[in-house]
Amino acid sequence: MQLQRTARILPLLAPVHLLILSVIVLPSFYVMWLSLNTSSFGQAPSFVGLQNYWRVLSDPAFHSALLNTVILVVVAVHLELAVGLGMALLFASGLPFRRFLLVAVLAPYAVSEVTAVVMWRFLFDPDAGPVTLALRALSLPTLDWSFEPSHAMILIGLLTVWLHLPFTFIIVYAARLAIPAELYEAARIDGATRWQAFRRVTLPLLGPAMVIALLFRYIFAFRLFSEAWLLTKGGPARSTEVVAIYLYQEAFSFNAFGPAAATAWIMVLVSLLLAGAYVFLLRRGGLAHAH
Amino acid sequence: MRTERLLIGAGKAFAVVAILFWSLFPILFIAMSSLKPGQDIFAVPPKWLFMPTLKHYTELWRSWGVFFDGLLNSLMITVGATLLAIVASACAGYVYSRNSGRWLGASLLGLIIVRLIPPIVVTLPLFPIVNALGLSDTHLVLILLYATFFVSLGTVLMRTFMDQIPRELDEAASIDGASRMTILRKVIAPLAMPGMLAVAVFVIVFSWNEFLFAFIFTATRAKTAPLVISEMIGSIDGVDWGILFAASTVQLVPVLLFVVFMNRYLVAGLTAGSTKG
Repeated sequence: MQLQRTARILPLLAPVHLLILSVIVLPSFYVMWLSLNTSSFGQAPSFVGLQNYWRVLSDPAFHSALLNTVILVVVAVHLELAVGLGMALLFASGLPFRRFLLVAVLAPYAVSEVTAVVMWRFLFDPDAGPVTLALRALSLPTLDWSFEPSHAMILIGLLTVWLHLPFTFIIVYAARLAIPAELYEAARIDGATRWQAFRRVTLPLLGPAMVIALLFRYIFAFRLFSEAWLLTKGGPARSTEVVAIYLYQEAFSFNAFGPAAATAWIMVLVSLLLAGAYVFLLRRGGLAHAH
Repeated sequence: MRTERLLIGAGKAFAVVAILFWSLFPILFIAMSSLKPGQDIFAVPPKWLFMPTLKHYTELWRSWGVFFDGLLNSLMITVGATLLAIVASACAGYVYSRNSGRWLGASLLGLIIVRLIPPIVVTLPLFPIVNALGLSDTHLVLILLYATFFVSLGTVLMRTFMDQIPRELDEAASIDGASRMTILRKVIAPLAMPGMLAVAVFVIVFSWNEFLFAFIFTATRAKTAPLVISEMIGSIDGVDWGILFAASTVQLVPVLLFVVFMNRYLVAGLTAGSTKG
């Protein structure tokens, strides 16, 4: 019986699992093997143990890439969550033209990283960008992103927030819509102020959804590549590199496959650690309200 | 009481304007600038009234023919990846919806976890393999890569949507003598259409816009539109902003309209995909 059932469902499962296995799983294990060897194109690999990991972990360029990535993940993603939460509450409080506004908010989801870079480069163009001109007219400091690494990081951060806000917003907004209106009525009858209702009803019930949105965005911001690459190519002088750009440079510019593979596995481990937190929350059933 | 309500109303109106400005201004601004005559693009202060011209679009057509080849490649790759992802996810989603068991549960969880591995990681080993197989710079390699990175989400979505289709329908059809494939094709697939559309939205938006894989795995023949735009940004003889805006607009508008019309499925997919494991 069991065997018969397996034979019946296997052909239907095969396409998905074959794709995942051959494109993601096996290559990932191959990367692990690569990371323990010294190798580059056309060179026989030889086993070096954890040497590649030591090289990467002691490389100042990696430290700066890691720091940049962590700053982006921490600042941009939390900023995004705060704005997304604010927007979700605003939408839930009742707005005219809600359908239209929702579509407008979703629009950046359709924009490619390349096009977003074109937009934001021009908006912040040091000579003629409308945002630069507006900031100058208000005598506010402008972004000198092509020379000043910290300014470039601010622009990369703004760009990612712009591109991914629709995701964060929708997750939180859907969770907010799932909160029954009776809870707020009960709170009002009990004499709760708006702030108390937010603290005692909204926040705890939105908690799980916000954690999900955060974990997903941590994982995706940690692998950020295109925005930074297209905006600065990691320059000037490797100062705006993120971890994915460091990996790309090691592998495809410096032909150092071993260290690149070690970087890759560091990325995998961090992502899996975050994924583990997600699965733990999911399994614990603490997400009953997040649907 | 009156003033408080007025203040709240004003605050809301301000917030709505800010949200609209944040979301739409960058998009509208490049679309508008693509229609400005060259000297007006860099006018200080920016010109809001101007004689619209299609000059940048005709110039794009004349001097960047490769961009339109890129659009065609993007289209073929997007269609291929979407069909593959939908068929594969629908088959797997059906199994996960109608069967349960320890192994099945674990394998579904495995699918989700594997999806969280950063794509750049697999470029390292795949690059030499793709070269060795002679697949470098082909449409097929991008179709396979794009479909793969969405079949996990696709399977979860299909399962969620198929769970809502009553099992009695399968049973009735099977009593009538329909085979499993026929049931899936004739009974389940039509009813699971919203799920398939949700999967399609994700794969289409991703495949149409993807940069990293296209950058690493294509050179000339299968180069996609985002890659051509990135070359325009980096062209040595300075950026021609007018042409760049025209190309960005052409690349953006179809997928933007698609998302606008399919927003319902995007929202359904996002909310079902992120919380249901």
